[in-house]
Amino acid sequence: MFDAIVIGSGISGGIAAKELCERGLKTLVIERGGKVEHGASYTDWMQPWDVPNGGNIPEEELVRDYAVQRHCYALSSATKQFWVKDSDHPYSTSEEKPFEWIRGYQLGGRSLTWGRQSYRLSAMDFEANAKDGHGSDWPIRYEDLDPWYDHVEKFIGVAGSKEGLAQLPDGEFLPAFDLNDAELEFKKRVEAKFPTRKVIPGRVANLSEAQPHHEALGRNSCQNRSICERGCSYGAYHSSLSSSLPAAEATGNLTIVTDAIVHSIIYDPKTKKATGVRVIDSNTKKGRVYQAKVIFGCASAIGTAQILLNSVSEAFPNGLANNSDQVGRNLMDHLYGQVAAGLFPNGPTTNYHGRRPTGLYIPRYRNVTEGADFIRGFGFQGGVSRMGWRTAALGFPGVGASLKARTRKVGGWVVSVAGFGEMLPHADNRVTLHASKRDKWGIPLLHIECEARENDLKMAKQIAADGRELIEAAGGSVMFQTTDLAPPGRGIHEMGTARMGTDPKNSVLNRYNQAHDVPNLFLTDGSAMASSGCQNPSLTYMALSARAAHHAAEFLKEGKL
Amino acid sequence: MHDGLLMERRLLLQRAALLIGATTLPIGDLLAAPATNAKPVLSAPQLELLSAVADTIVPVTDTPGALAANVPALVDAMLRDWAAPATRTSMIEALDRIDVAARAKTGKGFTALSPDERLAVLKPHDTASLKPKPSKPSTISPRPETADPGYAKLKELIVVLYYQSEVALTTELTYEHAPGKWQPSIPLTPETRQTGGLTAF
Repeated sequence: MFDAIVIGSGISGGIAAKELCERGLKTLVIERGGKVEHGASYTDWMQPWDVPNGGNIPEEELVRDYAVQRHCYALSSATKQFWVKDSDHPYSTSEEKPFEWIRGYQLGGRSLTWGRQSYRLSAMDFEANAKDGHGSDWPIRYEDLDPWYDHVEKFIGVAGSKEGLAQLPDGEFLPAFDLNDAELEFKKRVEAKFPTRKVIPGRVANLSEAQPHHEALGRNSCQNRSICERGCSYGAYHSSLSSSLPAAEATGNLTIVTDAIVHSIIYDPKTKKATGVRVIDSNTKKGRVYQAKVIFGCASAIGTAQILLNSVSEAFPNGLANNSDQVGRNLMDHLYGQVAAGLFPNGPTTNYHGRRPTGLYIPRYRNVTEGADFIRGFGFQGGVSRMGWRTAALGFPGVGASLKARTRKVGGWVVSVAGFGEMLPHADNRVTLHASKRDKWGIPLLHIECEARENDLKMAKQIAADGRELIEAAGGSVMFQTTDLAPPGRGIHEMGTARMGTDPKNSVLNRYNQAHDVPNLFLTDGSAMASSGCQNPSLTYMALSARAAHHAAEFLKEGKL
Repeated sequence: MHDGLLMERRLLLQRAALLIGATTLPIGDLLAAPATNAKPVLSAPQLELLSAVADTIVPVTDTPGALAANVPALVDAMLRDWAAPATRTSMIEALDRIDVAARAKTGKGFTALSPDERLAVLKPHDTASLKPKPSKPSTISPRPETADPGYAKLKELIVVLYYQSEVALTTELTYEHAPGKWQPSIPLTPETRQTGGLTAF
């Protein structure tokens, strides 16, 4: 019997485990994927000529095994071991409302491959649902999460600059990865044309300067290689393997079990509490049970919803903790895929050194300082960089000595911006258990349907228009643009499926990420999100996880659980 | 995959393992190579033609070219290990079309020509093959469809395998595996070389 079980070892589970262990709780982390060793299992040693097939996965394998994952920017022959084989892990979706479920099943989950962009939600984000009536009212406000953002940022290490923006609160930052001279010029031109828009260094969970407490965990400063998604032997970016699980391990309170798929959570109708979990060994297919006083759901938004929906009992015929009928509903992903890129003329004559693991960020200005014909807003990630060898060599015709000559030169400046937009929650964007199909472990397959609706589509139009306008306002010419939204899921920010709320009738979790219906069940991954904001969500998942772990431990001590 | 390449990878892996202090390295699958006596996909004459084409696209200048970087063998390996049958056929047919173009222009096969003659054949062929076709209205593509997609892919493989090679990254472009500190502003001189590495653009 453990004090706590944490389902999932990814970005949320790693932090939950650390915080629970540090409060003296004997904690079991259950991971469905296989063991991955920090350092040993990584491919960051590969130099370009070592990477199989020049980085490409064999074409037939891609179609056969990675039909969905191939849409993920971070899938290559050097990283495929960190992404699921869709052929092994099928799910059902619809042709009219397709959802691309991008995931990795291994110890550390997608904390090994995440983009590391780390932004806080702001006061206006926590108030939005109450103000405009979309979604459940967040049961917390920014002030509740502020100290936990501080706590997590300090622990994981986030490099960024203080900007004093209401819509993007400042944090506990390591020195920013500064904008290069062309970006400073882009910033100057954009901010001159649009005085309330800001171009800032992207805030990123890489150690620009490792602090003593990072080094104590064996982590080192970032070497600016930008191969993070292969795993980093320097431990320079935050992941469960480099950072949170080692911290948990150091307490002596951590146990990890891998290759164990949680089938369902066990509920005792007499005590009205969860008592443990049923797992299926992914290799032997044998079942076993683990028990604990407190359960944390950190299996990712869709994974956690699946477990709850599959935890059916007399008390919960619609799935555990689902009296509200909201489990699986309100699935959101950020509006994604709209990129504009082009030449940036009259740039500086300086260069830069290193492959910086972040770029620039343009925080939300729509419905902050500028109006719109939609509600909520979006931000842009991007960068201005020297045209690369690939474009120089292949973007123009010509062979022979002239090809080498043009490719050898440092290229002109190229600017790109990619929008990330807030999606509104909707009850019919949801995951459900398939009525008949099961996976190889006998667990019902998921059916996932999600579509962008009226507000989302209006916002998408603006994202495309603004992306072009930003480049042109800075004197650039757009050479490449995608104006269509990618299908939901490709943004890899899926969330909302067991949302927090003040009203148990329309939400699953209370102000402590505690299930309204099951007091010793806490969900702290993307499922908890009542709204999506436009900010990359992992930092918020981690802050919620740390805060909920703190309260869960307190409740346990006080005999409330 | 050739024995030499496989051996080099295993040595690198062992060295890396010593550095990290690991005893088990569960990434063997990644290095799983085809049988050591795996046959080339291309016939001997096709390999000769590919070598001549690669040498023309990326010749020796003041630095080594595609041949020194073992590009023909690497292309052949990718045709075998990466390309789907349709892609393989498309690229091999594109290769043959270069020979056809040589015969049409000079009466001789591409490999029988001098380096200058080869360039005189390939240059217009390259321009014509890469002429872009219009693409979807909602997308301005960075890689528009071209008149001869097989040639475009073949050229891409040759060029990319060259520029990602140790030869190119130690003589033609600059590459550091671990650049170290990010420096946002440094002087640029006429001698500054383009940086290499795995990149999307």
